[in-house]
Order: sequence, then C-alpha cells, then structure tokens
Amino acid sequence: MPEPCFDYEACLTACAQGDHQALRALYTQESARLLGVARRIAGDNALAEDIVHDAFIRIWTKAASFDPALGTARGWIFSVTRHLALNFMRNNARLVPINQDHEDASHTPSGFDLHGHSGRIYDCLEQLQPARRDCLLHAYVDGYSHGQIAEKLGTPLGTVKAWIKRSLAALRECMG
Amino acid sequence: MNTSPNDNDDLASEYVLGTLETEQRREVEQRLAVDADLRLAVASWERRLLELTDLAPPHAPSTHLWGRIERSLEALDRPVAAAPAPATAPTWWDRLALWRGLAGAGLAATLVLGSMLLTRTTPLPVTSYLVVLVAPQSQAPGWVIQASNPREIQLIPLGVAQVPADKALQFWTKAEGWQAPVSLGLVKPGQRLQVPLDQLPPLTPDQLFELTLENPGGSPTGKPTGPIQFIGRAVKVL
Repeated sequence: MPEPCFDYEACLTACAQGDHQALRALYTQESARLLGVARRIAGDNALAEDIVHDAFIRIWTKAASFDPALGTARGWIFSVTRHLALNFMRNNARLVPINQDHEDASHTPSGFDLHGHSGRIYDCLEQLQPARRDCLLHAYVDGYSHGQIAEKLGTPLGTVKAWIKRSLAALRECMG
Repeated sequence: MNTSPNDNDDLASEYVLGTLETEQRREVEQRLAVDADLRLAVASWERRLLELTDLAPPHAPSTHLWGRIERSLEALDRPVAAAPAPATAPTWWDRLALWRGLAGAGLAATLVLGSMLLTRTTPLPVTSYLVVLVAPQSQAPGWVIQASNPREIQLIPLGVAQVPADKALQFWTKAEGWQAPVSLGLVKPGQRLQVPLDQLPPLTPDQLFELTLENPGGSPTGKPTGPIQFIGRAVKVL
C-alpha cells in the first residue's frame, strides 16, 4: 500500500518546476509497484523497465498538465505508466506473439487471488461471476485484448466482449 | 460527431480497462486533449479501477534504471544556449552512442534524440517528426527517420544492417486509416535515403514506418511479405 503521508501532488508540482529530486522521490516511492504493473502487461522485465523509463520521462515532461480535480497524483502516475504499456503492446501486436512469453512466474494461471485486497472495487468484483470477473482482470492487470482473453479462457470472442460490457456496467452501478 | 454521456462513459470504461481496438484507443487519446466530458469520464474510470494495480506484484527495478532516467532528464533539460560549442560540431547521429544505451522502446530514444537536436549549436531546420526504427526483438535502434518538412523524409542508418545476399530491405509506411502500408522504396544497408512524400498525405503522429526483408526486386505483391527488420512510429518533436 502507498504511504499515506507521501505527498505525490507536491512532487508533481516540483517536477513541473524542474526539480529532479522530486522525480527521484516519486521513483523511490513507486518504481517497484509501477514496474510490477508494467511487467504484468509487457510480460518481460527488460521491456517493462523501458516502459517505466518512458513513464518517468513522461511524468517529468507532463507534470504541469496533471489536474488534481480529475484524480489523485498517485493515480495519475499509474495511469501514465499503464497506458504507455498498453500502447506499446497494442502498437507492437504484430511483433509480440500472444501468450508466448507472457506467462510470468508470479502469474496465477487459474484466475486471480483477490483475498487480502480491500477496497470498493474488490467488493464489487466479488458480486460478478468468476469468469466475467477474470475477463476484467485479464484486461486490466495483464493488458489482454478481447482476443487474448477469449483465447486464454476458451470462450467465444463475442461472449467475452458482451461479458466485459455488462461487467463494466455492473461495476459502474456498484461503485457509483 | 454527437456522443451522448453514455457513449462517452462506455468508451472511457473500455479505454481505461484496455480493451479498445488500437484505432479506437488512438481516437480516444486524441479526443482527450480537446474533450472535457470524455476526460472526466476517463478520470472516473481510472479512479474506480486504480486499486486493481495492487494485483500486480511489485518488482524492484534494476539498479541502473534510475541512472538511465536521470541521463534522459539531463538530455531533456539542457538548454540550447548552454550547449558548449564543440570545435567541430559533431553530426547529431554521431552522438547516438549517448542514447543508444538508453534506447529501448522507441519513445524514450525519440525524446532524447529530439532534445539532442535542440542542443546543437548550428542552426537546425525545423524538425517536426522523428522516428527511431528499432529491431523488433532486441529493440536495438537501427535507423532514424528525420522529417524536416512534412513532404520529405530522410532515412538515416545508425549502422550497417545485416541482410542476406539474396534479399533486400524495403521501406514502408502506414498512417492511421490507410488500408495497407505503402512502399517507399528499397533501402541499401548503411546508406542514407531521401524520400519525397509528394504522392502521400502529410505525415501524422504515430504513423508507422518499417523495413521488411523482401526479394531483391522488392515485394512481389506490393505489400510487405517478409519479416519486419526495423519498426517505429512517428513522434512529433516539440
């Protein structure tokens, strides 16, 4: 869990003013968690480090554009990193064969262990059928496309798309 | 285009989840810059789903990652005026050794390269796009594309690519919305190529460039048929 006292927003403000130490503080604070996120999506440690490198450069150059009205500073740096990783995987889809190197040692092959994770999202996920829940988690955590999820779960593509659409609607309902 | 709040919310939810098709993803990213409602919808979904990042086990980065980031920051920070005037101004690609070590995913390389262009002391043409073409597997940069105006590009080798004797390298590009890549001609390893883009629409961000291995006369079908040797996307230089 993130340290409650760490001031992410102040760090971003300082980054926008050109303070390397502020970026360093963010790095010390979150690089391991961000690398974890990128590793799950990229399925490869070297590539994930490249993504985290790019993410920190982006955090640095875009810090001034962070809008606290839209979300937390911590959320923003995770979003930046995740979307860079997703874009990399989508843009290179022709080059990265699905699932070949994607199975990480830390990856639980049969679904996700949600025990020990607290938060509204986990309560709401519990209310979904396990297969539908797995669709959302493979998409968000593993960065799988519809097609990759269908392949992984052995479920028709159309079904996966419909499940995801409905599960997202259910989450919106549940979480407000 | 008319979009209802519901359309925006559906689009935002699948954008944040990561399940939009590549083209749709790109559309959303372009609209985010100008569409406050969509921005709000995306922010709500980012907030809803953020805690799921806890499911990815943390992993300590290697010890040199921060050093790489810091070197990139320094390259970005260096103001134009402060650049020391070298006795003989090195051509900018001679300095690639600097960023070759940094390069991995094309974006990083491109950012750094862009900043190095800015640090040159001699006047520069206004470069609007740069592309670093990297080998798909190793991500090693092999070529750079410089577009000093949108109508012409220069393909610049960073080394001599290995090509089997009975094969040739063919240069392709594809922008969003195009049906298929368009050939920009054959390329000799280690040789610079200047390509007028008169017959093509202007360059766009994210436009794809690639070099594939084809028969000596070029692809027989007019479309890439051989394996990709180098690939990259156009990034606008700020």
